[in-house]
This record gives sequence, C-alpha cells and structure tokens, in this order.
Amino acid sequence: MSLLQVDKLTMRFGGLVAVDAVTLEIPPGEIVSLIGPNGAGKTTVFNAITGIYEPSAGSIRFAGHETRSEFHGSVAILLLLTGFLTAGALILLCNIESLWEVVITGNYQYRQVFQWKPAGVAFTTYFSENSGTRLILPAVLGLFLGLAGAWAVWQRSRRTPEVAAHAGIARTFQNIRLFNQMTVLDNVLLGMDTRLRTRFWHAALRLPLFWRERRDATGMAIEILRFVDLNREVNQLAENLSYGHQRRLEIARALAMQPKLLLLDEPAAGLNPAESQSLMELILQIRERGITVLLIEHDMQVVMGISDRIAVLDYGEKIAEGTPVEVRANPAVIEAYLGKSDAST
Amino acid sequence: MKLRFHWAFLLIAALVPVVGLFVPAAQSLGELLRPIFIMAILALGLNILTGFTGILNLGVAAFMALGAYVYAILTCDIYPFQFGFWPAVLLTVLVGLLAGLMLGLPTIRLRGDYLAIVTLGFGEIVQDSLKNMDVITKGTQGINPLPAPTFAGYVFRSETYAPWYYLFLGFLALVVLLNRNLQRSRVGRAWIAIREDELAASCMGVNPMKMKLLAFSLGAAQCSLAGALWASFLGSSGEPGNYDFQVSIIALCIVIVGGMGNIAGVLLGALVVVGCNSLVLETFTNFLKAHELISSTNVYTAPGNWKYMLFGLALILMMRFKPEGLLPSRQVKAELHPHEPPPS
Repeated sequence: MSLLQVDKLTMRFGGLVAVDAVTLEIPPGEIVSLIGPNGAGKTTVFNAITGIYEPSAGSIRFAGHETRSEFHGSVAILLLLTGFLTAGALILLCNIESLWEVVITGNYQYRQVFQWKPAGVAFTTYFSENSGTRLILPAVLGLFLGLAGAWAVWQRSRRTPEVAAHAGIARTFQNIRLFNQMTVLDNVLLGMDTRLRTRFWHAALRLPLFWRERRDATGMAIEILRFVDLNREVNQLAENLSYGHQRRLEIARALAMQPKLLLLDEPAAGLNPAESQSLMELILQIRERGITVLLIEHDMQVVMGISDRIAVLDYGEKIAEGTPVEVRANPAVIEAYLGKSDAST
Repeated sequence: MKLRFHWAFLLIAALVPVVGLFVPAAQSLGELLRPIFIMAILALGLNILTGFTGILNLGVAAFMALGAYVYAILTCDIYPFQFGFWPAVLLTVLVGLLAGLMLGLPTIRLRGDYLAIVTLGFGEIVQDSLKNMDVITKGTQGINPLPAPTFAGYVFRSETYAPWYYLFLGFLALVVLLNRNLQRSRVGRAWIAIREDELAASCMGVNPMKMKLLAFSLGAAQCSLAGALWASFLGSSGEPGNYDFQVSIIALCIVIVGGMGNIAGVLLGALVVVGCNSLVLETFTNFLKAHELISSTNVYTAPGNWKYMLFGLALILMMRFKPEGLLPSRQVKAELHPHEPPPS
C-alpha cells in the first residue's frame, strides 16, 4: 500500500487552475521527485499535501487516512462549552446591573451580615419574571452564536498544517523559512515539538517531566545536528548561518519531527556542485532511516541521481511518470522543457 | 554560573529598604520603586504577548482595570464578599485568565494590525463600561476605601513602606520566575517561533491558535495581578480614567525601551520609563521651581508635563537607533558567544 495517495487533486484560485486532477502514489521507502517547468504547480501540490491549502477537489490520503482532524467527542464537548460560555456571558451582559441591584444591593446593609437566602430567592424571582427577555432570549442567542462560531472555526481548522505535521508529514520550504532569531538548537527543538509531552504547568513549575524531557530532547537534537553535519553551529542564530547551512538546518528541523514522509522543496537551489553532491548523499541517508522522500527539484543531476521514480507536471497537469530512464526518454517531457522541435512535426 | 541581570536586579532591589535604614535618600528611592514594581508586572504581562508571541496588544490597561475593580469588589466592605487579600488576589488572577480567554477566543484569528485595533477598542469599551455601570463600579468615584492587606496577622498600613515594598517585590519575583520558566521551555520556544514565522511553526506541528490563546490568557492574568496590587496600594479601585490608553502605551513603551522578549530588559525598561517619569522629571521640575527658573503657574514650562512627548521621542529614537531595546534578548548574546554550552 502506498504511503501517500493523492487522488485527482485539483486546486483552483479564482479562475486559475493551478493543479488539475493530479494523481500521485508514493510507496513507502522510495525517493520520488516532482519536476516540471516554473509555474507548473509543484509547490501548490506540496502546500495541499501539508494542509496549507484546502483542495478544491480530490482527496489526499496519508497512511490510509485523510489528513484532516475527525469529529471526536472532545470536539463536541469543546463546541458545547463555547456555546454555554457565550450564553452565560450574554445573559450576564444583558442583566448585570439590575441583577446586581436586586441580589446584592437589595440584601446587604453596610457592615451587616449578607442575607444569602433572600438573595438566592431574589435571584430566582428575577429570572422567573420576564424570563423571555431576561433569560431565554440571550441564552438561545448566545448558545447559537457560540456554537455556530465555534463550529465555523473548527470546520476551517480541520485541515491545517499542524494536522498534517502530527500525522507525520514534514517539509522544507522553497524560500528558506527558518526561525531566524532562534538558535540552531532551538530550531531543531521546535521541530521536535509534536513529540514532547511537557505542558505549560510542567514548564512553569519545573516538574521532573520538564527536566527529563529537556535533557532527552537536547541530546536527540544534537544527534540530528551531527547527522546533517551542523553540530559546530549549535548556538548560532539561524540567520547567521551560510545559505547552504540554512538549507541543511531546515532539513534537520524537519527530521526532528521523525516524519514518515519528508517533502523537500528545491533543496539544492542555490547550492554549489560540491554542496549538491553532499546533499544527495544526505537524502540517500535519510531514506536509509526509513523516511520516504518527495522532492521538488530543478537540478537534473540531483533528480536523476537519486530518484526511484519521477513525476512530471506541466501547467498543473501530470504529463509523465516513471523511472528516471523512462522520463528522460519521454517525448512529452522533452517538449515541456524544450518545446516542440520542427523536425519531429 | 554567572548571575543573570533579572536576578541581580531583584537582589539589589531587595537591599534598598535595608540601606534605607541608614541612608534617608535610599528610603525615598524605595518609596518610588513600589509603583515601578507594579508597572513591571504589567509590562511583563504585555511582554508575553508582544515580546514573545509578537501580538501587538494596545489594551493591557483594560485588564489592569479589570483586575483593580474585581479586587476592589471582592474586598471592599460596601459589598458583601469581603474576601481577604490573598484569596482576592488569587480570584482576580483567575478572572483575568478567563477574561483573556474570552477576548482571545473570537479575535485570535485576526492578524497583526487588526488584532491591535480590537485590543485598542477593548480598552475603550472596558473603561466606558466601568464608567457607566455605576451600580456596581460607583462610576467615576471608584470603589473605596479598601481594607489594608494582611499577611499572617500583620496588617500593611499605608504609613509604613518597607512591608509594601517587599510584598510587591515578592510578587514581581514570582512573575519573573514564572515567565522565565515558560520562556525557557517548549512553550516559550513555540511562542517565539510563532513570532518569527507562523506558517513554518504550524508546519512543525505547533498549533498557533492554542499557543496564542495561552499567551493571551497568561498575559491578561498578569495584567490583572498588576491591577489588583495597584488597587490594594491605592486603597481604592481608582477611577476608570486611571486606566486609559496612556497606561497601555506606557506599558508598551517599557517593553520596547527595555528590549522586546527579554525579561531583564522589561525590568530595566520599567525602571527607566517609570523612574524617569516619577523621579527625574519631578526632581527637575522642583529644582527649576526652587531656583525660580520657571514660574510655578505656567503649566507649559514644567518638564513634568512634557512626559508624554518625551516618551514619544524616546520611542522614536529607540526604534531608529536601537530597535532591539536597551537589553536585547538572549539570542543576540548567543550569537556573540557561539562556543558556550546551550543556554536553554
């Protein structure tokens, strides 16, 4: 069974069809490349897979599941809680002054004992008189508003990047997006966030779990940095690294997530031949760790050198797929890159 | 291990009243420091939002007002609740937490300037509500008098200054400790990552909405704490006009001048900004008046009345020449010492 199954994915932006019914299957343990001329829709496919875009049509299944959060009991509880909270707030907002007068001011003389019982009675009588406008209307309105708002927010956040990240999809970006003001180590530690169990009270009170997890996480981060050969730059700010190192740090940050699938968006862009060579070795080593790699790349040396399979996009459509040898010989691919030759017509 | 600035600050501050026993000047300094501690707590609350998470909040005064009024209602003997100081402060902090959550829930999806406008509006709404709900808040009179705080049988009287001093310093130390612990943990890392690049952070599995909501509630809780302490110090909730836009701006000023995202910077900023306001300008005005260099009837020539213009000028100059603040955050320090062991 394939790890990632993209089925007839279509992305429309207004009238523009950026990706048109693209079908991709990525078996586990392979390195698959996505190539095509500029503007072919490769990065759009990546953004749809990682949940940045909601597909206009088609489905994306990762390890057998849609990459979107399902409706659980906890979601229902959260929605209801928001509804009740809004209702309560609205009831209070509509009545607070008159309620205060009836319940608090009416039953309390300066420096006398507060009359709890009459206050309770006053409270209930207040709401039983005119209960339509005082209680029921704001309650219904608040419940409706809260539920509808929370439902809308939940619907819109079903397919977000963090859902894809939790499912096990990691990615790098075409234009490097590191956390510039954070150190190299912190960048990698942030990549590990999905695997940490420390909550804010653990951190605030420095409970044992915090110390244990910090020690373990730092150790693992250093190990990952050693793997990408960045262990001498641990405390540098990310923005002060050289371009090639920043590319490697992005990969390290993605690897820290221990993903099943790694999406690399033009990792060799801007690298010199020696750096490209070591990048190829790095990608092969990543595959040996059991991570499936999907790659967008323009550097054909890299693509042909390491890919098991290649898919070619042009104007949002998939025009070819196969092994590097097949793709290289495919006339449609040659046409997309070089244009039609006169001799062949 | 070297002593970090914020601990050094708190230690030196703790010694001021002791020195004050022998040197009268130190005692008057100590009296001036008390409001500075409260403003520092307020600014640290804002720092969580603006400094760590990168959310511009122009309405922290609203949370301070909320804290002051909730504390006043809970303790004042014109109302039946009459809690003691400690449970009232605890409840106020909880109300602040909830208020931050309630404001955050519907607005947190807004970005940048739009959220800033919402918080600005919230500040005005709270102030006007407090003014107009006079059945509860006594309108522009404020709720007073409030009973003096007590600690294990000891009553804090307004004539004595050292106990108050240590009370506020203790709260400040607690807040500093909490913020430092959060900053150097998964939580602070996620906040800073959201500030740096929200999309990249969410692609790493950080839930920006959740983390921003957490920042909102914790920041609001700290601002409410500042409000409760302020009310207990004044012996009154103060009037709604005390918590106007200027207070939010001063808090922002403290954060920016001190160094966004750095706790030590915020402490220094509070010292510089509030200290400049209440100590330097005041002394300078009195000096000028004593030597008859300015007339005491002309309000325009008194430097004390120029403070907002001076704050504005300071803000512009900081942004132009030292945008990272007087004490930039530790990341910049890490840049200068790449071979030291990891600080986090």
